[in-house]
Formats: sequence, structure tokens, C-alpha cells
Amino acid sequence: QRFRFCGDLDCPDWVLAEISTLAKISSVKLKLICAQVLRDLLGEAIEYEKILKLTSDAKLESGDVKATIAVLSFILSSAAKHNVDSESLSSELQQLGLPKVEHASGLCRSYEEKQSSLQDRLRACSLRLSQLGSVRWRVDYTLSSSELQEVNEPLVHLTFNVRDRECERMMAVPVTLSANKFRVLLAGEAQGRVAAGTSM
Amino acid sequence: MLLVLSAEHRAHLGCLPRVGGAAVGELGRLALEQLRRGAAPRACEAAARKLNIGVDTIQHAVEGLVYLLTESSKLMISEVDFQDSIHVLGFSDELNKSLLQLYLDNRKEIRSILGELAPRLPSYHSLEWRLDVQLASRSLRQQIKPAVTMKLHLNQNEDQTAQVLQTDPATLLHLIQQLEQALGEMKMNHCRRIVRNMK
Repeated sequence: QRFRFCGDLDCPDWVLAEISTLAKISSVKLKLICAQVLRDLLGEAIEYEKILKLTSDAKLESGDVKATIAVLSFILSSAAKHNVDSESLSSELQQLGLPKVEHASGLCRSYEEKQSSLQDRLRACSLRLSQLGSVRWRVDYTLSSSELQEVNEPLVHLTFNVRDRECERMMAVPVTLSANKFRVLLAGEAQGRVAAGTSM
Repeated sequence: MLLVLSAEHRAHLGCLPRVGGAAVGELGRLALEQLRRGAAPRACEAAARKLNIGVDTIQHAVEGLVYLLTESSKLMISEVDFQDSIHVLGFSDELNKSLLQLYLDNRKEIRSILGELAPRLPSYHSLEWRLDVQLASRSLRQQIKPAVTMKLHLNQNEDQTAQVLQTDPATLLHLIQQLEQALGEMKMNHCRRIVRNMK
């Protein structure tokens, strides 16, 4: 059977297996654990001790606690990845056997609140090789040189600050152009902008 | 299978009868620590002072025991073969028995340590991917050129490296097909026979 939150594929076996573990936790505590898992997915620190306290009532072993976090992580991030709305997610989770209506609806309410921030975060984490941070410029005017007494030419200095995603460092790429070359660069860039606008 | 001990090895182990039973246990423990964590010259010095023997002699004895244990564990020699191999050293029965016990108690652990020393190739850690479509370039407008960009993260002895690859969807499908064929080989009769025999 195909599930939208799994990307129109079958639900992985381990997720099916852990749904029954989720059912052991009360729906109120499940919503709080969801909030912690969402914090982790959004890049904030997860508070593992709080989760341990919340699961202590259900008498889960440490392996089960980790499995609970893993399955909630998968459900929430996969639903955001495939842009599933919270209604469909709720009905699909109930089909998988998440028993009471409170469990599924509580989970989906937490999901709905954070869906767009989750998607923004996933977009930011997508594969990116390098990224332009900023451009700095300076225009000089050369008056004279050892070769020619009256030069009177403008000179453009550009520094591109590029973030290399591989080593997470900013690299500065300095470029120096004469006025004509700079006009060519600007013309090419303007054409690129036009092309991007018209190709959509 | 018998171990052949070189003359130098025999000379190193030759001091064991002199030190007495309890000290042999201590030297055995030092040998195992050296296998687990590497050489510990301070521990050897402490043992030398306690037993009133030269540091060099103690060091040789510990190294001799280390070599004896690793060679025996590596070849997984039987009790009888171990006893016959050390018989040539001419030790007392008691000493032979303690050496045998040292070997039998620890050979599993030594084998697992030796197993980790084999060189390893880079192994898969994770794969990030991205699907792009090139719509226009400086030279040509109105294009549709899909490309898949992948970043393959590899692990090699705690070093993480990443390799960036880019391909078009047709080549990617071909790659997937080749990998599926490789997996399919496992189900062929030839592979099945070998796997059955290894079990």
C-alpha cells in the first residue's frame, strides 16, 4: 500500500514496527516528545533528559526511547519533504495503526504548526556546493604609471566572498577589471537576469 | 601446527623460570596490556624494580610473551600444539601450564584486536543529492537540461571525505541498473554455493 508521507512508496518495515511503541505512550506525552523532536529537526538542541522523563511512565527501555525518537523524526521530516498536509498525514497514520484519534491528531497538530519552518530548514540544508555571500567593490582612478605619464583610467576592484559548503569557510575571491571589462560583465549579468525571468 | 621459536625469542623468554609463578602472572598481564594499549615503559620499570631484575630483561620477556601470544592466536593453534611448541623452552610443568592458561583465556580477545588491524577501504557514510534543470546559459537560451548532483560522503579510519559527482538522469538510470545487476549476482547459483560452503 502506498503512503503519501513516504513519497508514494510502501511504508518502511521498521516504521510499522515502531507505531505500536508510540501507542504505549499517552497522547499528551507524545505531543511533548514531538515538540522535542521538532526542535532537533529545526536545528536546536534536543533535551534528551526530558524525553527520558516523559517515557519513564510507559516503561520503555533505552532502545525503545531511541526508536521512538527515530520514528517521529522520520514521520515529521518525510511528511514535510513530500509536502503532505496534516489531514492526510493523520488519516495515513491511523491506517498504519496509530490507535486512538488523540494520538494521530495531536501529532499532526504539532506538525501543522511547524510545517513551513521545517520545510524552510530542509530547503536550507539541501545540497549546495558553494554560495555567494557578499560582493564588495571599490573604484580607483589611475593617474599615472611608470609606463605612461598620463593614464587617467578608472579601475574596478571586486571581492566575491564565497562560502565553500564543503569546509564551511568563507573564501575571498578578488578580481580587478578595467572599465570596459566591467561593462561587459554587467551586460552579461543583465542578460542572465532576463533569461532567468523569461525561462520560467 | 607447531610454532617455531627463534633463538632470540627463546633467549627472551629464558628469564621466566627465574622470576617465579606470581611474577609470570604479572608479566602476562603486562603483555596483554601492551596488546590492548601499546607499550608502557613505566609499567615495565615498576615491575623491574619490584622483581629486582634489569629493565631490559623485563622488557624482553614481556615482548617475548606478546609475540608468543599473537602468533599462537593468529594461527589458532590447538592446546596440544601450544604445549609441544613451548616444550622446547624446557620450562617446568607449572610454568607451561600457566602459559597455556594465559593463551587459552585470552586468545579470543587477541584475535579480535588482530582483526581490527587489517587495512580498510573508504566506506559509504551518506549520500546527498539534488535535481536541477538548466534553463538557459550565456551561449544558449530556452534549454531544458536536467542534471543530478550528488555528494558522496565516505568514511576511512575516522577520516571523512566527500566526493561531488554530477550526471544526467539517463546515466544515473544506467548506473542503478549496473548496481542492481551486481546485487543480482548474489542470487546466482555460483554465489549461493560458495556462501553455503562458507557457513
